[in-house]
Amino acid sequence: MIDYLWLIFRVLVFPGFTFLLFFTMFCDWIERKVEARMQNRMGPSFTGPRGLFQPLADFIKLLTKEEITPTESKKNFFRFAPILALSVLVFALCFLPIDGTSVIPNVSFGGDLIFVMALVSVANFMLFLAGWSSANPYSSIGAARVLTQFLGYDIPLLMLALAPAFLAGSLTLATIVSSQWVPFAVLAPWAFVLFIITMQAELEKDPFDVPHAESEVVAGHETEYSGGKLAFLKLARDVQIVFGASLITVLFLGGANGPVFFGFPEFWGTLWFVLKVLVIIVISEYITVLFARLRIDQVVKANWRIVLPLSVLSLILTISLAVWIYPLV
Amino acid sequence: MTNIATWARVKSPWVLHFNSGACNGCDIEIVALLTPKYDVERFGIKLEPSPRHADVLLTTGCVTQQCAERLKRIYEQMPQPKFVVAIGACACSGGVFAGNYNVVGGVDKVIPVNAYIPGCPPRPEAIIDGVVKLLNSLQPPKPAKKEEKKDVKQ
Ligand code: SF4
Repeated sequence: MIDYLWLIFRVLVFPGFTFLLFFTMFCDWIERKVEARMQNRMGPSFTGPRGLFQPLADFIKLLTKEEITPTESKKNFFRFAPILALSVLVFALCFLPIDGTSVIPNVSFGGDLIFVMALVSVANFMLFLAGWSSANPYSSIGAARVLTQFLGYDIPLLMLALAPAFLAGSLTLATIVSSQWVPFAVLAPWAFVLFIITMQAELEKDPFDVPHAESEVVAGHETEYSGGKLAFLKLARDVQIVFGASLITVLFLGGANGPVFFGFPEFWGTLWFVLKVLVIIVISEYITVLFARLRIDQVVKANWRIVLPLSVLSLILTISLAVWIYPLV
Repeated sequence: MTNIATWARVKSPWVLHFNSGACNGCDIEIVALLTPKYDVERFGIKLEPSPRHADVLLTTGCVTQQCAERLKRIYEQMPQPKFVVAIGACACSGGVFAGNYNVVGGVDKVIPVNAYIPGCPPRPEAIIDGVVKLLNSLQPPKPAKKEEKKDVKQ
């Protein structure tokens, strides 16, 4: 009985749904603040202390608005795609060891790295469905771009994710984390940098944000959405960003590893994890603000001509180091 | 519950900008609002690309015959509750273009307007003031269509 209550607590409250929800909103606030400061603006300031509640206000406002379903849209897909995208992403996050163990205890199995990456593809496909089902030319173009981009960049992303797997000698996320007494970002910095760039493309952030380039396709796959569905779509996007940063943290920065000073190790684990995720989010936001948007053909070309060969090279380099050099040290 | 909804609505008005025939003077002032000097993101105001996402429609310029239909459609595409702010003398009444053969008149000839901000072009401060007055009028919730013509007379 206690076990079940503990499980429900972990899934619903901490480090599960509620914690992730508020953490996501906090990350959204950090992003908007960093972006504003980089552009010499103030960013949200008057909603709660220092504008901290701005994402919450946006979310609640969207929930209370009228929902419009276009007559021509595929109603079922249109209705369920945002919710499915959000739930798949939260489910994927449940596999990451946030406070030392994954959200559902003992759920990790050999190869859950591959499983988590597959879940992300499913979530991206839901975003595509959201755009495609709304029967709007701009949404369709945006959806097609989502598909083009994530199909292309999934390959190098998976290859780069294999680098830590080879260094740890395991495809299990928990083992990858526990074998990082030195973060893999130090052992394989080339893979780390490439992974951040590829993640940027996977999360549709600048310079790869063609799927929702305002000046070309209005709001991409989100164009026809309003009210609660838009709220969940936006939340899914923010959760996706948190997921990307968490995955980088788990694979390259040693997840919840860090010094434990006193008290519960879970507390310190979560603290280190959250701090590392925030660092990654700030870096990614810096890249977003610094670069201008590429064209869609440049995005595709950059993938097949530059990122893919580089990730193959990085994989070869990592494997040879993991097999011949690091065992000697 | 309504209190929370009103709070959220006041704190996060997302705007859509529509130019129904302005000389671009007013549009530049709106751009000034969004850029570092006046940065209205401080108040949670964000420029949205799609009318489906917007709460407040910022219209500039007189309404031309050609644009009247489009303006109406943009307005109808927005989800309730929605508000319209007419920015500039032209949007309020037709301004210097009133009575022209191809001009319908002010924005209120086509869609209901919640706040009028006169000026040619109005200063960014005036626009912020107008939007803040509009938001304050929300505090005790009012129906969306109620017009507020206080600011028309100069
Ligand atoms: S009010 Fe003045 S600045 Fe604005 S559109 Fe009319 S003429 Fe141009």
